[in-house]
Amino acid sequence: MLDIKNLHTAVDGKEILKGLNLSINSGEMHAIMGRNGSGKSTLANVITGRENYNVMKGDILFTGDSILDWSPETRALAGIFMSFQYPVVIPGVNITYFLKAALNAKRKHTGEKELDAAGFLKLIKEKLNEVSMDPKYLQRAVNDGFSGGEKKRNEILQMLTLEPTLAILDETDSGLDIDALKIVADGVNRYRNADRSFLVITHYQRLLKYIEPDFVHVLIDGQIVKSGGKELALKLEEKGYSWLES
Amino acid sequence: MNISDFNIEFDKMINRDYFSDKVHPMREKAFSKFLEIGLPTKKWEDWRFTDLSSISNSSFRISEKQDSPNGDVDISQYQIDDVETIVIYNGHYIETLSSIPSGIQLLSGVDYIEKTKWEFKSPEDSPFDLLNTAFMDSGMSIVVDQNVCVEKPIRMLFISSGSESLMVTPRIHIDLGESSSATFIEDHRGDSNSFFQNGSTFVTLEQNAQLDHLRIQSNSVTTANIVNIQVEQNADSRYTFFQFAEGSQLGRLNIYNELKGDGANSDINGLTLSNGSQHLDNHIITDHQVPHCNSSQNFKTILQDHSSGVFNGRTIVRKDAQKTDSRQSNKNLLLSKSALMNSNPQLEIYADDVKCAHGSSTGTLDKDALFYLRSRGLDVLSAKALLVRGFATELLDLVKHDGTRDFITGQFDIWLSENTTA
Repeated sequence: MLDIKNLHTAVDGKEILKGLNLSINSGEMHAIMGRNGSGKSTLANVITGRENYNVMKGDILFTGDSILDWSPETRALAGIFMSFQYPVVIPGVNITYFLKAALNAKRKHTGEKELDAAGFLKLIKEKLNEVSMDPKYLQRAVNDGFSGGEKKRNEILQMLTLEPTLAILDETDSGLDIDALKIVADGVNRYRNADRSFLVITHYQRLLKYIEPDFVHVLIDGQIVKSGGKELALKLEEKGYSWLES
Repeated sequence: MNISDFNIEFDKMINRDYFSDKVHPMREKAFSKFLEIGLPTKKWEDWRFTDLSSISNSSFRISEKQDSPNGDVDISQYQIDDVETIVIYNGHYIETLSSIPSGIQLLSGVDYIEKTKWEFKSPEDSPFDLLNTAFMDSGMSIVVDQNVCVEKPIRMLFISSGSESLMVTPRIHIDLGESSSATFIEDHRGDSNSFFQNGSTFVTLEQNAQLDHLRIQSNSVTTANIVNIQVEQNADSRYTFFQFAEGSQLGRLNIYNELKGDGANSDINGLTLSNGSQHLDNHIITDHQVPHCNSSQNFKTILQDHSSGVFNGRTIVRKDAQKTDSRQSNKNLLLSKSALMNSNPQLEIYADDVKCAHGSSTGTLDKDALFYLRSRGLDVLSAKALLVRGFATELLDLVKHDGTRDFITGQFDIWLSENTTA
């Protein structure tokens, strides 16, 4: 599904990713771990097409196509989704309106009939229930006045609504209390199936107790230096990163 | 208009056989004072950012009977649902198109002057107020008796039309008796390509009276629109003002709001949209003279192309006005690199036990928010439009009357679709 080949990426002229290789097949859950500044969030942002993340070398293939020239919305419509580390507050933009517009853009793209207000409301209420969010959220502006946990749940709500095939969870667990973490993890676990892939980016092993990865990769200084199964996460918790540094 | 143009027009005004000559001395006094002062220049502190050359370099004439419509005017294009409408076309009251609201007294200028036994407001310190007194030719006065709730909004629809360069000078007095309430809408429309309107509106709210005052400036982008509003509030009265401005080449709103009775409350809001070379200027003064009054000023401007704007908000809290609670906010969104906004929120506080807040920000669309929306599959235009709409929502939501809010929101969406660029 996702093939990253020898990816070099610079942000503001500074090279962050220095020849990263990663392959994710359908149905797989991959976790990327690493210290602050290792390039984890840069990887998430360059896959989703954020401005100012310049690919200097290498390629990113999604279901076989190079996506480097694709706009963020083209990538989204193709099935790539990122749960933001810092979800953006957008005062005045109603969540319902925003999510309905996003879902209908997607449905239009896939040739499905766009949902009317009633149809959308029915669907969104089911999704809200999955992340234990009160329907009164639908009256609010996007992330405006939300607590940290509410913002992250709102990201998962969007994932469940837009049904991407590749979901990138960028530090979705950071700052969450244990109850919110369980809600988020349950939402992700229920969403897992053979057609959907995940790239989970995290600092902490804790999340991986609730979301079990198939593969764990360690990112140091813009390169994946070690890959393994879920036991690698435990080893990292125990020994830290220094044993992997040259 | 140079001085001799003004003189010629003033002579015509004074010699009109169908205007009451009782008012002449008042006009003459105001006009001679205007001639002494002249039009403001950019050297005047309050006019630093606003160039009046589109008025001073053009020639306007007063509106004559022949400028009233010949034949029928289709006002359905100016529809707002659920209002009573008084139509004023190029400065002429069109009775056949107007619906007279019940529960109020609707008076002509002269009738109002006589009713108030000549004791009415006529400010003398600003050139445009003086010009208004000298040339007042249209408008109406609305008087609401005490304890009367006027349910249906009263709209004055000002249509400026035709190819003649006209100067029209409406004068409106609104007096609300104790514990009465009303909604008043000034609605400025029309396709005239050269027009100078200098309107003055005087609002007096007796104790516990409430006025919702809405102003729509949706006339063509080639006109000049100066408006001078004075509001005097007695104890426990409430005044709410909302302006939606998208029309006029040159627009200037002056509000002077006096809080003269304990417990009075005023909220003055505006949403301004400009493009091309429009220049829209809002000057608001809220004057707290007594204790326990609340006030707010909340203005937002969205600017496209090389348009420009001004917000100059001043809240004065006088020595006796303890326990004042006031807020001022001005936020502006620049959609183009060539757009220019001057924002100047000011507090002038002489009392020591007050709560006053003010803030101002001017910026472009938030890049992070734009990426966020696009990462969910919205194209650039839809994402930008959604953000601009989000910026304006807070103000659009302040319009309480459904019919007017629907109209304004519709106009906003049209503007947005024409002014959102990738």
